[in-house]
Amino acid sequence: MPWIRTGIRLATGALLGAAALLVWGQADDSARSILKGAAVEYLYPEQVTVTAGKANIVVLHFRIAPGMHINSHTPKDEFLIPTVFSIPEGAGVRLEDAGYPAATEFVLPLDPGNKLSVYTGEFAIQARIVAEPGNHLVEAKLRFQACDKNQCLPPKTILVPIDVIGKQ
Amino acid sequence: MVFERPLNSYNKAERRIPVKRNTLVIGVVLFILAVFAWVGWANWELRKQAAERALATVSQGQLVPDAAGGEPDPLSPLKGKPAPGFALEDLSGKKVSLASYKGKAVLINFWATWCGPCKIETPWLIELRNQYAAQGFEVLGVSTDDLDRDDQQKLGDDKKEIAHSVAQLHIPYPVLIDGASIATPYGGLDAMPTSFFVDRNGTVVAAEMGLTSKEDIEANIKKALGK
Repeated sequence: MPWIRTGIRLATGALLGAAALLVWGQADDSARSILKGAAVEYLYPEQVTVTAGKANIVVLHFRIAPGMHINSHTPKDEFLIPTVFSIPEGAGVRLEDAGYPAATEFVLPLDPGNKLSVYTGEFAIQARIVAEPGNHLVEAKLRFQACDKNQCLPPKTILVPIDVIGKQ
Repeated sequence: MVFERPLNSYNKAERRIPVKRNTLVIGVVLFILAVFAWVGWANWELRKQAAERALATVSQGQLVPDAAGGEPDPLSPLKGKPAPGFALEDLSGKKVSLASYKGKAVLINFWATWCGPCKIETPWLIELRNQYAAQGFEVLGVSTDDLDRDDQQKLGDDKKEIAHSVAQLHIPYPVLIDGASIATPYGGLDAMPTSFFVDRNGTVVAAEMGLTSKEDIEANIKKALGK
C-alpha cells in the first residue's frame, strides 16, 4: 500500500537525517572544543602534605589538548609568550623556584626553517615551595599561549588549585 | 437402501468440480504470493534508492568546510552583511575608521605578535596588496595584542613591541591596535589569524579563520574586488 511505503521511506529518511545531523553535530563540537575548550588542563595532585618552613618539591601534572602545543618556558622567538607557573603572594605558600620540563621542537608545515620550542601532550612542572604551618588552599596559576599548526589561541592563565598541608 | 443412480457415476461427476477449484485456489494463492514478492522487491529497491539519496545528502552536508581546511566556519554569520564599523588607533596614535575605506575592497586581517601562523601569511598579504592596490584594494592589519591601558608606561611598551614586530615583518599597510575591543561584532576572534574580506560597498563577502593559502586569500580578494 502506498501510504505504508511512504511511511517506511519517511521513517528511513528521518533516521538517516538524524544520523547525518548527529555526525555533523559531533564534527562541529570537536572543532569548537579546540577553540572554546581547555587547551591545557591541570591533572594532579589536588592535595599535598609538606614539611612546614622547609623547601619541598611538588610535581604538578598538566595535559595539553591533542593537536595543540604551547610555548615552552624558554621560547626561541622574542615575541612568543613563555609558559610560566606562579603562586600569588599571601597564599601561605611561597614558590621558591619552578623546574620546567625539557621542550620538544615543533615545526609548522609552512615554515620548516623555524623550529619552535614547545610542550605537547602531558608535562610536569617541579615546584619548590615553602609552606607555612596549617592548611592552605592555594590558587596557583599557569600562563601559556596555545596554537595548533594553523591557528593560535590568545594567551591564557588557568588556575591550579592545590590544597597544601604544612606539617610541623 | 435404494440409490437413484449408481454410486460410481455420482462420484465421478462430483469429483471434477473440487479439482478445478483447488487448481484455481492454488493459482490465486501463487499469484498473490508473486504479487507480494514483487511488492517486497519493489519496496526493497525503493528503500535502497531512498537510502542512496539520503546518504548522498549526508555526504553533501559534511562537505561544507571553511577555508581553514575542514572545520565548520564560525564566521559565516557575518558573510553577506555589512562589515561592523570601527575606528581604531594606528601605531602613531591616529584614528583610522573602516568607513574611510568605502569604495575600496578591504582585507581586515586580525593578527598578533605572538601568532606564528600570522607571520607565515603576512608576506603573502604584502605581495597581494602590492599586486591589487591599483585596482582599489587595501589591507588593514589589526593587532589583537593585549594593551595595558591602566599603566601608561606599560601601554607604551606594548605599542613599541607591536611596532617592532611590524618593522621586523616589513608591513607596509596600516596596522591598527586594540583589535580585542571589536572582537564581539567580529565573531569573537577566537583564534588568530582571522580575516574578513569586505567589498567596495562595505559588505563582508568572505571570512577565514586560521592559516589557509596564498591562493585562497587571492581568490577572496578577487571576490571582494568583484572580479
